[in-house]
Amino acid sequence: MSATAKSTGNRTGNLPAGGPLGLAIDTTFDDTSVAILRGRREVLANLTLSQYADHAEFGGVVPERASRRHLEVIQRLIGDALAKAGEESHGGASGDDAGGDSGGASGGAAPVSLAALDYVAVSNLPGLMGSILVGMTVAKSLSYLLEVPLIGINHIEAHPYANVIAHGEPAFPLIHLVAAGGHTLLIHQRGHFDWEIVGRSVDDAAGECVDKVAKMFGHPMPGGPVVDRLAMTHQPGPYRFPRPMLNAPGLDFSFSGLKTAMLYLLRKEGLLEEVAGENRRPGNVRVKASTEQGPLLAAFFAAVCDVLVAKTLRAARQFGVETVTLSGGLAASAKLRERFGQACAEAGLRLLVPPPELCTDNAAMVGCLAAFRYEAGRLDDLSLEGYPNLPM
Amino acid sequence: MKAGGGETPAPKGKGLGGEKLNTEKLKAEKLDAAGLKAAGLKAAGLNILAVDTTSDFLSLAVMKGGVPGDAPYEALGRRMAREILPRIDALLKGAGLKAEELDLLLVARGPGSFTGTRIGMGVAQTFAQVLEIPLLGVDTLTLLAAQTDPGESRPFHVALNCARDEVYHARFRWKDGIAQMEGAIALRRLETLAPEIGDAPVMLRRFGKEDGRAPGNHTAARPAANSRDPDTERRFAALNEMSPVHPRPDGKRLLAVGAPRFLARREGPWPPVLPLYLKSEAFRTWKGRP
Repeated sequence: MSATAKSTGNRTGNLPAGGPLGLAIDTTFDDTSVAILRGRREVLANLTLSQYADHAEFGGVVPERASRRHLEVIQRLIGDALAKAGEESHGGASGDDAGGDSGGASGGAAPVSLAALDYVAVSNLPGLMGSILVGMTVAKSLSYLLEVPLIGINHIEAHPYANVIAHGEPAFPLIHLVAAGGHTLLIHQRGHFDWEIVGRSVDDAAGECVDKVAKMFGHPMPGGPVVDRLAMTHQPGPYRFPRPMLNAPGLDFSFSGLKTAMLYLLRKEGLLEEVAGENRRPGNVRVKASTEQGPLLAAFFAAVCDVLVAKTLRAARQFGVETVTLSGGLAASAKLRERFGQACAEAGLRLLVPPPELCTDNAAMVGCLAAFRYEAGRLDDLSLEGYPNLPM
Repeated sequence: MKAGGGETPAPKGKGLGGEKLNTEKLKAEKLDAAGLKAAGLKAAGLNILAVDTTSDFLSLAVMKGGVPGDAPYEALGRRMAREILPRIDALLKGAGLKAEELDLLLVARGPGSFTGTRIGMGVAQTFAQVLEIPLLGVDTLTLLAAQTDPGESRPFHVALNCARDEVYHARFRWKDGIAQMEGAIALRRLETLAPEIGDAPVMLRRFGKEDGRAPGNHTAARPAANSRDPDTERRFAALNEMSPVHPRPDGKRLLAVGAPRFLARREGPWPPVLPLYLKSEAFRTWKGRP
C-alpha cells in the first residue's frame, strides 16, 4: 500500500473533491467498454456493448469483425458514458450502478465535460491486436487533445480491481484467480503494481474449455452461463471426469484434456451425432438431441471447479495470504462461487468476489487500476504500444 | 516478366525517382495552389488537418488559413499507431496551429490496409468529436485519380492492387478540374477486369511496388508479394499505365480533393465517417464453415 499511502505525486497536489476524474476504455477482445470513474472506485458510468450476437454465425470471435465493430460504436459509447456520468454525479438514480448495460443515457443532468477529465486510461494488452489498436488510438487522441495523461493498463492486472470497486481497498498480499476468456491465471499481488503470475493455463483456459464443451452440446458462445445453470440444477450423476494437473506440483492449469475427456465419453456412450470423416474433430461434434445434458455438464463443470479451487487454495497456502479473490468472466458462475465459498470457509480464507457484471470485461476495472496509477504518477505518453500477449 | 524474380520492367511513365521528380513536384505544387485558390479556399481561410493511414505510409497534411503547409509522407508500417499522434503534434506545431484552431478534419477512408485505415479513422473521429468540427472522408481511389493530369480528356481507370489478382477498381473522368468517379468502387479480379479496360489509361497502384518496402509490418505491402503469379504479372504489365503528375497519393491530394468538397456543402450535415473496407471481415474461409 506504500505506493498509494504516500501518493503526493506531482500531479496530485490538489485533487478535486472526490478525487481525479478518469475515462477508461477497454477494447481488448469483443466487448467495447467505456467507464468514467471519480477517485479510486466511484463508478459514474460503465457502459459495455457486447458483440456476441455479431459473431454467432462463426461459432467464435472473428478478430477483424471485432475491430470493425469497436470503431463503429466507440464514439457513441464515449458520449453515452459522459451523459450517464453527468446523471450520476448530479445525484442521479442509483448510487450503486457499477455495472449496467449500455442503455444510453437521457435525462436532465448535463453530461460530464471532456474538459473535466484528469486522465484517460486504455487497456493496451493482452488481446486482439486490431481491437486493442482501436481503443488505443481513440484514447491517445483524447489524451493529446485534452492535454491529460494517458495511462496504459494491463487488462489482466485490472480484472482483480473489480473487487476494489465492489469491496473497497484490499489488504495485501492477495492471491487472485483471474478466469478470463483466453487466460486462467493465478496472481500473487504484494501491493499495487507489485504482482506476478504464479500459475497459468498451459493450453486452453478454463473459460475456453467451457465454451468448447458447451459448443459440443449445441450452445453458442459464451457457454459459461448455460453450463453454470445446468451445474446448479443437476447432480453430476455417474459421470466422472479427470482433474487435470490436480496432483502435479506447481500452480499451472491444463484444461484441454478435459475437453477431450468429454469427447471420448460422449463417443463411448454413443451420444454423438455421426459427423463425416474429415470433419470429425473436437470443434465439430454435436451431441444427439436426445442427450440429457444436465448430469454430463454438471459432472464436467465440477471437475473444472475442483481444479480451480484446489490450485487457488494451494497458492494461498504457498504464499501465506489470508485473502483470495475471483475475477474474470468465469467468476460470474454461481457454481464456482458456491464451491469457492465452501472451500474458503473451511480453509479460513477470506474470499472476495465482484458482482457478475464486473466479472466480464468492463472498463470500470481498468479505470479503477488507472486511478491508482494516476495517484502514483505512473503515467504513459503518446508513444504507448499495444501488445497481443502477456509478457512471460 | 518471369515469375518470382528478376527485374521489374520499368513501368511506363513512372512518377517516382530520378531527375524527373523535382520538376514534376514543382508542377504539382503549382497545380495545388491554383486548384485550391480556384476553389476559394484561400478566401475561406480554413485550417485543416488531413490524415491518411490506408497504406504502410503515414501521410499527413496541414492547411493554415487556406494555405497548404507541410505534408509529411513516411513509411511507418507497424509503428503507425505509436507514431501518429507525435507526428500530428509536430506538424501542427510546425505550422503554428493549435488543435482547437482546426476547422475541418479530412481522412482517407480506404479501401486499403484494414488496421491502418482504422488507426487514422480512430484519430480523425476523435479529433472531430472533441473539437466539434466536421470530419470528411475521401476514398483512396479518388485520391489516386487526383494524382493524374487534369488535362486528361479520356475516361480512365483507377486500380489499387489489394491481393494477388484482386484490385479495387473504379472509372473516372476529369471534369471542371475534378476527377469524378463514374459508377462505384468494386473489388474485381484483374483476370476479368483487364479485358474490359483494354487500352484505356489506368492509374495503377500496387502496394510495396511504387512505394518501396516499408519497415516493420508489411500489412499493405504483403499483397504485392503475393501477386507473383505470372499471369497476374502479365496482366499488370499489359495495362496502359498513366503517368501521375503528382507523384504520391499523399495528404496534399487529400487536401486538394477534400477541401473543395467541404466548401461545396459547407453547411453539412456531416454524417459519421467510417472506413470503406469493400471486403468481408470473414474473408478467410474455414473448412466446414460458411
